[in-house]
Amino acid sequence: MTDMLAVAGLILASAVRLSVPLAFAALGEYVAERAGTLNISVEGMMLGGAFTAVAGANLTGSPALGLLAGVAAGLAVALAQALFSHALTVNPYVVGLTLNVFVLGLTSFLAESVRDEPRQVDLVPVPWLADLPVLGPGLFAHRWPAYLLVVLVPLAWWLVRRTRWGLEARAVGENPQAADVAGVPVNRRRRQALLVCGALSGLGGAYLAVGEVGLFNPNMTAGRGYLVIAAVIFGGWTLRGALAGCLLFGAADALRLALPALGFDLTPQLLIASPYLLALLALTLFARGRGRRGPAALGVPFTRGIT
Amino acid sequence: MRVPAVEMVGVTKRFGSVVACDRVSLSVREGEIHGLLGQNGAGKTTLMKILLGLVRPDAGRVLVRGHEVEIRDPRTAADLGIAMVQQHFSLVPAMRVWENVVLGAGGRLDRSAARGRIQEVARRYGLAVDPDARVEDLTTGERQRVEIVKCLWRDPALLILDEPTSVLTPAESRELFSVLRRVASHERRSVILISHKLDEIRHATDRVTVMRSGRVVARRATPGMDVADLAREMIGREPGTRAAAAAVGAMDAVVSPSPGEPERPGRTADADRGMEPGRPGPAAEPDHTGVFDRAATDRAEDLGRAGEPGPATRPRPAEPEEEPGDTLEFGRVADSGPAGDPGPAAVDEAEVLLRVRDAYATAPDGRPLLRGLSLHVRAGEILGIAGVEGNGQAALADLLSSLIELDAGVVEVCGRPVPTGRAGAMHRAGVGVVPEDRHRSGCVLDMSVAENLVLADVGRVAAGGLVRPRRLREHAARLIEEFEIVVTDPDAPLRRLSGGNQQKVVLARELSANPRVLVAAQPSRGLDVAAAEYVAERIRRAARDGIAVLLISSDLEEILALAHRVAVIHRGAIAGEMPRAEADVARLALLMGGRAA
Amino acid sequence: MTSPPLGAARATSTPRAAARLRAVLTYAASLTVALALATAVVTLSGHSAADTLLALYQGSLEGGASLGQTVDEAVPLLLVAVGAVVCTRAGLFNIGQEGQVLIGATAGAAIALSAPGPGPLVLALTLAGSALGGALWAGVAAVLHYRRGVDVVIGTLLLVFVAGQVVSYAVNRDFLLQESAVPGQILAPQSDPVPEAARLPRLGEYPDFNVGGGVFLALAVTLLLAFLLRHGTWGFKVRMLGLNPVAARRAGVSAGWIGGGALLLSGACAGLAGGVVLTGGVYRLQPGLADNVGWEGLLVALVARNRPLLAVPVALFFGALRAGGGFLASTGVPRYLVSVVTALLVLAAVFPAAYAELRARRRRGSGGGA
Repeated sequence: MTDMLAVAGLILASAVRLSVPLAFAALGEYVAERAGTLNISVEGMMLGGAFTAVAGANLTGSPALGLLAGVAAGLAVALAQALFSHALTVNPYVVGLTLNVFVLGLTSFLAESVRDEPRQVDLVPVPWLADLPVLGPGLFAHRWPAYLLVVLVPLAWWLVRRTRWGLEARAVGENPQAADVAGVPVNRRRRQALLVCGALSGLGGAYLAVGEVGLFNPNMTAGRGYLVIAAVIFGGWTLRGALAGCLLFGAADALRLALPALGFDLTPQLLIASPYLLALLALTLFARGRGRRGPAALGVPFTRGIT
Repeated sequence: MRVPAVEMVGVTKRFGSVVACDRVSLSVREGEIHGLLGQNGAGKTTLMKILLGLVRPDAGRVLVRGHEVEIRDPRTAADLGIAMVQQHFSLVPAMRVWENVVLGAGGRLDRSAARGRIQEVARRYGLAVDPDARVEDLTTGERQRVEIVKCLWRDPALLILDEPTSVLTPAESRELFSVLRRVASHERRSVILISHKLDEIRHATDRVTVMRSGRVVARRATPGMDVADLAREMIGREPGTRAAAAAVGAMDAVVSPSPGEPERPGRTADADRGMEPGRPGPAAEPDHTGVFDRAATDRAEDLGRAGEPGPATRPRPAEPEEEPGDTLEFGRVADSGPAGDPGPAAVDEAEVLLRVRDAYATAPDGRPLLRGLSLHVRAGEILGIAGVEGNGQAALADLLSSLIELDAGVVEVCGRPVPTGRAGAMHRAGVGVVPEDRHRSGCVLDMSVAENLVLADVGRVAAGGLVRPRRLREHAARLIEEFEIVVTDPDAPLRRLSGGNQQKVVLARELSANPRVLVAAQPSRGLDVAAAEYVAERIRRAARDGIAVLLISSDLEEILALAHRVAVIHRGAIAGEMPRAEADVARLALLMGGRAA
Repeated sequence: MTSPPLGAARATSTPRAAARLRAVLTYAASLTVALALATAVVTLSGHSAADTLLALYQGSLEGGASLGQTVDEAVPLLLVAVGAVVCTRAGLFNIGQEGQVLIGATAGAAIALSAPGPGPLVLALTLAGSALGGALWAGVAAVLHYRRGVDVVIGTLLLVFVAGQVVSYAVNRDFLLQESAVPGQILAPQSDPVPEAARLPRLGEYPDFNVGGGVFLALAVTLLLAFLLRHGTWGFKVRMLGLNPVAARRAGVSAGWIGGGALLLSGACAGLAGGVVLTGGVYRLQPGLADNVGWEGLLVALVARNRPLLAVPVALFFGALRAGGGFLASTGVPRYLVSVVTALLVLAAVFPAAYAELRARRRRGSGGGA
């Protein structure tokens, strides 16, 4: 029995650890999608963040500064996405795909030049809490940037639900025509939402690189950006749901890694595909509920005065 | 003389080769309700869009309290205290009333303060709103109240309303005008009321500016104004037919008792604004008798349309018989029904071509659209469906366009039931529809004119699964000629045509498919008088040819001008029905407002 | 000319010649910036731009073999692109081609490895099966959309990743498509090679110009769809649906049949592309078989402004880049550069039209909500 608990604790720890990078990005994508932009370039933001974090850490010798560099990279991708799809109205999906291809190509191309000794931010266990059985290591023994989530999550909630910016962003996601008539600068809010997403996703990728792994491997995000999109959808476009989705998908990943060691021969492919299947399931089953469809204008570009 | 609250001087705006506003000057005083009168397409909306920062003028100045300003975007306009009460696309349905009201207002977000202030504003002006309700749950009238609160929230110096009464019952309109009067006189704000209806102008405004074809053609003070004179200014000539008079909302100026006809009940001598719009008292009416006696030939010229093929080619077969019924003699009503049509007795024997029985339908969000609606239309008959917008007219038209599926009830065309909601089924059964919003469901703007003239019946110009260009062109040429559509290149996208010509394309296509039933929803909306007259005439002709016509309109005068029978739609069902001869504005108004007549 | 290309800038009041000159200049500027950025990336990472360019050229255009390689790379891109065009014109945006390619290839492999019969028949069945497989995969998204209201973009996107796992599962299970065991050898996650009979015939001989039979298939599909879209009653309905779904419904165009059909068709094209890749050169089903053909085919459709005939030269261009990339390794330049260049060129290609439309809108006096 204690054995099982210990194992459960280990898996939990693994799950939480794996879901932290997802959680950062999910906060960002949540804000972006509430503003009506279905942002596909999260993958590029995360991967760019990972690469730049390692590059920055190598350059400055400080992984913490690498984190900042990662945020900047995410912002840069977001700027490109915003420019092409909201200032110029090129199809946002294709812009996102192109940016992902670009970032993947560029970072893989330059991967060798940032190969260096591993640098990671410090592991900071919370005193006393980290020693709790089962839950302790899982929840309270992380590298310090993970604890930023404790602040960022309520901040994101407050931003979207309690500020005027958030009200306007939500209006823009539900009904941009009405928001425009009310004097809200629609595309500007959407661009700003994208920037928030870029910063947070870049942070997520950076955490993956200088938090978890310590170096950069080509395509190290391996589709996590798309996982994040699935998490937001699975969570019904609520903050709680998105974070729950991240945790769930992190758990799926942890299970996939742990089960063979435990002697179970479960098809890894099913576990890898599970996040996407779960998101599809959520969309299919809960299609009729309020909020399950997402913001009414999600993915619909806005131009004033179009008949 | 005090500085005007808002002044526009020499404002000009062009859209391509079309001049929407041509050196327009407008001056609105503090504390006044200023009417902006003109038919559709006169430039009123564009002018207001300039004031609101939605459109930048090519020339001219705008002054607010004497200071020249540049209104670059809606936010600037809002900062200057210019606000417009919107009709469509201005509330976010998923959000609550208080969130919608404070949207765009700037400053910190404070829910309780907002709710408190909303209730205060509502109380002060007599507008009942619930700050916590979700907009998607509100009726049209309630939404308009929210719009007004939203406007008053910003403490505007100038309030603009664009045709606000089209979605209101006559009683609600009266309420609205009194609210406006309170807003203007008690708070020294200014109000601009845009309308194409003389009655509204007469009952609600202090001064009026008349626009036509982008120019200001007249300015008057409302008390003591000459209605006929205004009507003439608005159109540019005498309103020659009943339809034309209907288009300018001058019907009640026309319909006064002729010798022999009993005095209408309820008419009083009051001519003040408190009266229901559409019911003039004799005291308010200056003497018009005998001013506009016309001979048939004069009328033919009058009805020539500027820039379009002349009236000579327009079919007017029964002209001599029509005349007595249709001549507009201000001060004398001379007709007993729509001109030139078979009398009600003949129609009663004809076959029922369209029957709707107990129709129930709901919108995707659960709102009921139709609640047990039943009606029938016979061959050769025009059934007019009157009613305040938002009572199911759109749903009825959508039903007959195969866009809505019924939860219960049947639709029968020529006696045979037609499946509802199935794409194209109504069309195949012989129902032609000229929809209310032609851009939404009537045509495809980015396809060519020739293609739009086919749309549902592409098989007619195709062979072997391929569209034959020659047949397509021939078909288009034939319709363009018959319906006198002004178009230089049939392969150009429909977008390039004027609104009136686009409507003609829709009409041509629907009529050329030889329908048994024709549904015309708000057919003359957005059209100038000439185009509106043409559409009215084609509708009459369709009826004469034995088609059952369902005319849906929120414009009472249009209905009274064309229909054999009038029914009133209210909250998704037919509230009452009567032959044209028994229909009068008072009874209809009651039914429209939901009370038994 | 009836339907204007999507995204085309409307005629302005300025003289035609000046507008055209401005368009050309914008394109030239756009391309120059893109190429400059690519060159910068190459040189800053310590490689020679000249050598890189030479390698790209050698791999794609120098000599018969390279040209053939270019065409071979272009063929699946063209197939995916044409399907994407049809679907987009119907108003639905399918971004799941990468997954549909994989499922199509899987279906094709299953047939090729198990169907008995003469060569041409097996090949035909394989390709048909691939198309069917791709169509079915897109069909899942279609059903989810029309029955449960799931957005097509989201549905097809999520299914891409599911498809990847389906293929991985299939080639890792011996009862499915895993390769036959050879004593002493570790099993790789791939299938057996498809039999000779089921391989696309090649024209020409290495090292001269030689190209797979798939090119005829791709061209035939392109021409057929282009023709039907423009002249067929089916194409008329597709275009109507894409331009105004409400009017289309009134006119009898069923969104489910025509729209869903277009979605299935695009899946079929992508699946067929997978089958061509399988039978045209790779011969074994592997998880990495698609190799971005789905994503890049989508980009081809975008750059070609949703015009099927324009997709041919664009596909060739992108194919040349892919072919050239193979040569890059010989210069020590990682072949990832091709992705970078491709992405930059796509952005460069869409920038001018979008910019022109932005200017037209600004001039009309109503902006896009700053």
